[in-house]
Amino acid sequence: MNKIFILTPLIVLLIICIFSLVYLLSGKDPNKPPSALLNKDVPIFESSSLYNAKDIIKTKDIKNKKTLINFFASWCSPCKIEHPLFFEISKKYPELYLLGFNHKDPTSDAKKYLEDDGNPYDFVGVDSDGLIALEFGVFGLPETYLINEDGKIIYKFMGPITMDILKNEIEPLL
Amino acid sequence: MSSLVGFLSLVFAIGINFYLFLSRYIFKFQKQKFNLFIRFSSLLTLLSFFSLMYAYVVSDFSNYNVFQNSHSNKPLIYKISGTWGNHEGSMLLWLCILSIFSFFFSFTKNIEDNFQKLTLIIQAFLHILFGLFIVFTSNPFLVNSILVNEGLGLNPILQDPGLAVHPPILYAGYVGYSIVFSIAIAGLFQNTDDEWLYVAKKWSLISWTFLTGGIALGSYWAYYELGWGGWWFWDPVENISLMPWIAGLALVHSLMMVRGEQAIKKWIVFLSILCFSLSVFGTFLVRSGILTSVHSFAADASRGIFILLIFFIITGFGFLVFLLKEPKKSNTLNLLFINKVSALVINNILMIIATLTILLGTIYPIIIEVLYNKRISVGGPYFNSTVIPIMIPGFLLMSIAPILSWQTNKINNSKKYVLAFIILSVLVILQSYFLDFNTWGFVGLLLGFWIILASIIAIFSSYKIKINIKFLKIINPHIAHIGVGIAIIGITCSSVFQNELDFNLNEGDKFNVNGKTVLFEKIETTNEINFQSLRGKFLFDIEKDQSKEIEAGKNYYPVSKMITSEAGILHQWNKDIYFILGDQKNNEWFVKVLINPFVSFIWLGVIIMMYSGLIAVSRR
Repeated sequence: MNKIFILTPLIVLLIICIFSLVYLLSGKDPNKPPSALLNKDVPIFESSSLYNAKDIIKTKDIKNKKTLINFFASWCSPCKIEHPLFFEISKKYPELYLLGFNHKDPTSDAKKYLEDDGNPYDFVGVDSDGLIALEFGVFGLPETYLINEDGKIIYKFMGPITMDILKNEIEPLL
Repeated sequence: MSSLVGFLSLVFAIGINFYLFLSRYIFKFQKQKFNLFIRFSSLLTLLSFFSLMYAYVVSDFSNYNVFQNSHSNKPLIYKISGTWGNHEGSMLLWLCILSIFSFFFSFTKNIEDNFQKLTLIIQAFLHILFGLFIVFTSNPFLVNSILVNEGLGLNPILQDPGLAVHPPILYAGYVGYSIVFSIAIAGLFQNTDDEWLYVAKKWSLISWTFLTGGIALGSYWAYYELGWGGWWFWDPVENISLMPWIAGLALVHSLMMVRGEQAIKKWIVFLSILCFSLSVFGTFLVRSGILTSVHSFAADASRGIFILLIFFIITGFGFLVFLLKEPKKSNTLNLLFINKVSALVINNILMIIATLTILLGTIYPIIIEVLYNKRISVGGPYFNSTVIPIMIPGFLLMSIAPILSWQTNKINNSKKYVLAFIILSVLVILQSYFLDFNTWGFVGLLLGFWIILASIIAIFSSYKIKINIKFLKIINPHIAHIGVGIAIIGITCSSVFQNELDFNLNEGDKFNVNGKTVLFEKIETTNEINFQSLRGKFLFDIEKDQSKEIEAGKNYYPVSKMITSEAGILHQWNKDIYFILGDQKNNEWFVKVLINPFVSFIWLGVIIMMYSGLIAVSRR
């Protein structure tokens, strides 16, 4: 009885270590929480274009084409870092639809940002109140989603995408 | 150049410790020579640390670590604190403090030579583990491969005087438990007399005092820097510092109470191992990047696995020795219905349950994510509704524990206490009846005041009042408990009776806070050395001649493109008035004002507890 009592800490230690090890080895990253939306349908959204308020995009508009959705803002400095990569993506995969959502940004700032750094998106939707981001479960900017032809989210990344991530995680899905 | 000196002395120090570790089995040493080596390796580790600090001070960007985490136009104090404001440097600080503890321990007198030597050998072993960790996964002395003349800057949120000293003090607490751990293990191996208990008591008190200071500084920082109006958020990083703190508290109490009882001695060894294990576990959780917070600088799986291994080795070794070598048989436990020993046992059990509850809440998300691939977070509601109720009986017991007897169930002057408790209860009931009633508020206030009152009664009725140092030492346990009581009152009031007011204001507007008129004077932007500041200036209580000025706003750090919030706090003895400047919308500024009653009591209570800790170190 006494021995079992003294053994308990060792058993607890073992359990903690095993779980931590599995966590570390499985390549889980605090920046990449498992998304509840993965393999689910794209949330229903409706947004007007940054350049023309009458130009509206809806969920059904991105059916039947592969779409990369990127949430960005002019005030978000990591967004600036990943920005050039989208030009590369759009050059390499012209058939991929690039949809940018401008998150909680004054229109003038957003336009200036895309003027200065260039506009890689096929469509820039306005998400001024952040409701669309809420539907997508955005944690923080930037965030990128890949949607397949059936309108299912097949990939999600939090934070700025890098060349590595593009090569190893996104491109195999394209 | 300084990087090279730093790296070489680090490697050399590890080498010496390896040599010392082997000395147990191969080369036998004289005590003097052994101690000389230990001190020399400590000085080398210090040298290594100061070389890194020097590189930071002179902004030597040829060092990759300095390049990554410093900037030449930072004020000197943040250049210095930048040394530990990053993963690599903070691990070096860890090692450095470990060495300092070994250094001072080597001067301990009145203990058996072999015992001291064994303790230091275990310290040397720890030094090797963490030293190798630094060299192989977190080397702060890497040379920058590109030529640069400017660095990338320190995380702005860490550019704060409170936070500059928070890590060294907190680490002194964490790492201090390494000595306690080594002492306990050496005690098990040597199995000699009870002398080691007194040595362990001193060191565990020192560690506990540092840990208290470190946690308090961190939470004070969170209070005025994060701008959320609270000072404790049950953030995983806070939890992992709280666990060794509570376990350390249990340890300190057990050490004070021990009278040669075998069961308590065993328990002390267990707690000593547990405290240091929890410290290392905390280091693992933060440094592996499993938890994201301001503390996790970089997530790197190889580091995580290395430090997990260290945690496993240290804890596994500790508990294994504990399993195999039992302390020598001696007196049995003198448990009565209510005496000092039984109060101690109950309190220890409660503290351990609280620690385990926090541990469970902290690692539960990891377990769930591994099992179900879902992310959950365990926050305030869980901890508030589990940890606090567990602690309450402990607090009650604490108020009378120092006056309980060792041998009998009798409590001296019990009538006085009962009477005082009844009067106090009536007063608190009246208070909550006439002001706003809140169950937690009621319980907290009653507990806090009761602890203070009972301690004061105990001081006056049990001792002759004298004013000298000896007397202060005698009443020290009561003083410590008064500190806890004061802190409980502060915690209760500031969390339960907090008041929040929201305003949308233009410059020049007047508004009302707590019956006083406040003027929103103006918004001012200025350029400081390393940031731009935006400040809203408020004049509090303008009807009086001496109205007080409060500034609240934000800082923008261009180097790292980050914005930090700077709360404006008007400290009064009975409340803090806490201003937060929000965003501007339609030419109106959003201003949040929080009235936090009696926050100062928390810090006062903590200071009293630390004072008691220090006094207790000097008491035998």
